[in-house]
Amino acid sequence: MTLHTTALRAVHPAALLYAEEAKAGLLSRREFLTRATALGVASATAYGLIGLPSPANAQDATTPVQGGTLRMNMETRATKDPRTWDWSEIANFGRGWLDYMVEYEPDGSLRPMLLESWEANEDATEWTLKVRQGVKWNNGDDFTAEDVVNNIRRWCDGTVEGNSMAARFGGLMDAATSQMREDAVEIVDPATIRLKLSEPDIAVVVNMADYPAAVVHQSYDNGDPAANPIGTGAFLPETNEVGVKQVLVRNPDHTWWGTAVYGGPYLDRIEYIDYGTDPAAVLAAAESGEVDATYQTTGDFIDIYDGLGWVKSEAVTATTLAVRFNQSQPPYDNVEVRKALQMAVDNNVVLELGYNNLGVVAENHHVCPIHPEYAELPPPVVDPAGAKAALEAAGQADTEFELISLDDSFQAATCDAVAAQIRDAGINIKRTVLPGSTFWNDWLNYPFSATQWVMRPLGVQVLNLAYKSGVAWNETAFANPEFDAALAQANSISDADQRREVMATLEKIMQDQGVLIQPYWQSLYRHTTAQVHGAEQHPIYEHHHYKWWKEAAS
Amino acid sequence: MLLFLVKRLVTMLVTAICLTIVVFALTNLPPNLEKIAKSEIGTRISDAEVTSWLDKNGFGAPLLVRYGEWLGLLPGWTRTDENGVVYGRCIREGEDPATAPIRCGVLQGEWGYSRVFRQEVADVIARGLGLTGKLMFWVLLVMVPGALLTGVLAGMREGSRTDRALSTASIVATATPEYVSGVVFIAVFTSSAVGLKWFNGSATSAMDDATLVNFTLPVLTVALYAMGYVARMTRASMAEVMTAQYIRTARLKGVSFPKIVLRHALRNALIAPFTVIMLQIPWLLNGVVIVETLFNYKGFGWTLVQAAGNNDIDLLLGVSVVSVIVVLLTQLISDVGYVFLNPRIRLA
Repeated sequence: MTLHTTALRAVHPAALLYAEEAKAGLLSRREFLTRATALGVASATAYGLIGLPSPANAQDATTPVQGGTLRMNMETRATKDPRTWDWSEIANFGRGWLDYMVEYEPDGSLRPMLLESWEANEDATEWTLKVRQGVKWNNGDDFTAEDVVNNIRRWCDGTVEGNSMAARFGGLMDAATSQMREDAVEIVDPATIRLKLSEPDIAVVVNMADYPAAVVHQSYDNGDPAANPIGTGAFLPETNEVGVKQVLVRNPDHTWWGTAVYGGPYLDRIEYIDYGTDPAAVLAAAESGEVDATYQTTGDFIDIYDGLGWVKSEAVTATTLAVRFNQSQPPYDNVEVRKALQMAVDNNVVLELGYNNLGVVAENHHVCPIHPEYAELPPPVVDPAGAKAALEAAGQADTEFELISLDDSFQAATCDAVAAQIRDAGINIKRTVLPGSTFWNDWLNYPFSATQWVMRPLGVQVLNLAYKSGVAWNETAFANPEFDAALAQANSISDADQRREVMATLEKIMQDQGVLIQPYWQSLYRHTTAQVHGAEQHPIYEHHHYKWWKEAAS
Repeated sequence: MLLFLVKRLVTMLVTAICLTIVVFALTNLPPNLEKIAKSEIGTRISDAEVTSWLDKNGFGAPLLVRYGEWLGLLPGWTRTDENGVVYGRCIREGEDPATAPIRCGVLQGEWGYSRVFRQEVADVIARGLGLTGKLMFWVLLVMVPGALLTGVLAGMREGSRTDRALSTASIVATATPEYVSGVVFIAVFTSSAVGLKWFNGSATSAMDDATLVNFTLPVLTVALYAMGYVARMTRASMAEVMTAQYIRTARLKGVSFPKIVLRHALRNALIAPFTVIMLQIPWLLNGVVIVETLFNYKGFGWTLVQAAGNNDIDLLLGVSVVSVIVVLLTQLISDVGYVFLNPRIRLA
């Protein structure tokens, strides 16, 4: 069974839900089409779902134009060893000359890149990877199975400070040395690699699509990857000025393998210009014609860009704001307290007040309807009076709670909405807003605060990263043997439909333990000028440069 | 005169040392160091990793020792990693520790490495000063003639209608700080909301290629503020000169008004504005910080904001030293220049 064919096989279940809503008149036809096609449903199929014939679409006929420069605003951060990348922005610059084993598409499917295909056995403990043949590094070397093993070995090195990839490949690692087990990876023949995991893991290949998994050459010295940019990618870094500008130019002396497979790249030059974190500065740049596309458009600015006549693209995501409790800190060590606070908050209201309704309501268990294994549970109960009573029963009626958040506009607004509802229930709560420089110093340990979690393609992935006992990013201090056992079981079922049954248990434990208030799933937006094509917003901010093109100025 | 210059240079040196000690102490507070470690190896790391990183990178030594290292008075730190490779403050990557210099600080011409920009501090500051120099050149070109003309016209006939109008305008200009005027300009002249769209609200493209469209607003924002102040000073000085006895004598002799103003009043009236303009330059640096951040123009002021915001120790120290030099140097020029313009003053 290969994962990428599974994901492409059927119409996305969420799209069917949208279709029901559209037919019932709850969703406009336009809205439905945006959402359904964003989920990877071909537009003709999408029209079919709501019983309409597909119109002849003039726009589809436009063929990509070769050449041109695309300018986008982006925080240009310092490049460093790919496996320690902690910002998508770093990866988006690196993507110019570094490719990935597989690529996550906006519709939730996986596209084979440097790996041509992959297969798992029954219980997902043994994986067979096929290496794409005919790929060249830009220094002329051939891309081989040894290169793949070299990269897996790098990812598995848990002794490197800040290497987040190691946490994703536990099944290939030797726990004692924090290195790759040499017997776990076997080169069967020059085009085939076999992985033997110590425990089942369905996410091995999906993890290779994550942004710190850029594939580097064997000569790479763990320094600045832009200093000596050897990669398989189609572009080269030209300018790399942190905080100012990063420029990628098409490498004229290199035949990119993907041109024959997927087409592109079309652009000659991609300029990332740093305008800081103030969206108003980006708007000023857009109005001045200094950029052709935004990295992301948020909040009130969405309407403003629409008004400028820029083209909006939306990505439905499993990105969320986790308003979580840290269970190691009193009074949140008491499950009744956590559940009471949860009960006081209506997530619909938080979505409306905190995020302008630009998303989907969530159910306090951190598994999203667009995840393949999502199991539907009855919606959480909202009962402010009950919340107050429960707190009294727990002896915490007079406690003043404190909710800490980043000063970022929507994060602060969301927490304000959460706190306001808790206050309305008659509970004392204080709000504290911290600047990013202070907030991130201690994000793991705040008793009650909000953290944005970027989406992962599978429902089990965030649970593994954030809620499994003792993992590095477990900010809730959640340690539940029953949950860990069920999660280990879910991690061994590679078929999404079978995994869903275990998932229902996991989601239920999350809700029953009052782990977090998780109000909504965010949609992401990007605006581009009408000339820009193929650069739609991606659910995890990935930039697939080879798809981007720009009409020549008329 | 020579003694005066020497005194001034010593003051400059002492000020720079005092300021850098303060900046050094503030940027090296434990939470700030923790921030550096986190920005180096990832925001989401544990306290143990932070401590280990700080010690490995020479932040473990006492404050004054590290200040001495930065100055170049004390030998730079060295460490040996688990593979037996010696590395340290003064050993560049790939350099043999035996041949590397023992001290590498400001005294040796090493300004250190900017952690935010991943470049030598000297290069970052040079880039910033270059861009700010361009901005300041245009600011002075607009401000000086504008301010002098306004001041002279207003002071020429004290109390006249021209005087009242120009004085009001210059008071308004001085009373409006850059962060207000800049935002108003952007709102009025650049946004689709008002619809004028004459200029750009962002000066990022002006770094490579300054045009009337992308550079007017930042220049105007800085210039207007200083212009009002200098114009007021010029007006006062002009008005005073116009009441002097020799002007009355000239009038009584029948010299024409334009001739009085141009030949007799102007030179004496310009002594005060000269000093004010020179003293205004350090104040302009203030405005530059705001305007460069507002318009995303990546010069010296913007560099200062980035260095301070990200606790970039070496860069912040470098910026401080350069600022001290700019401020005290312009004061020196103003004092020396004053002597030449007004022979009655003598420098002891």
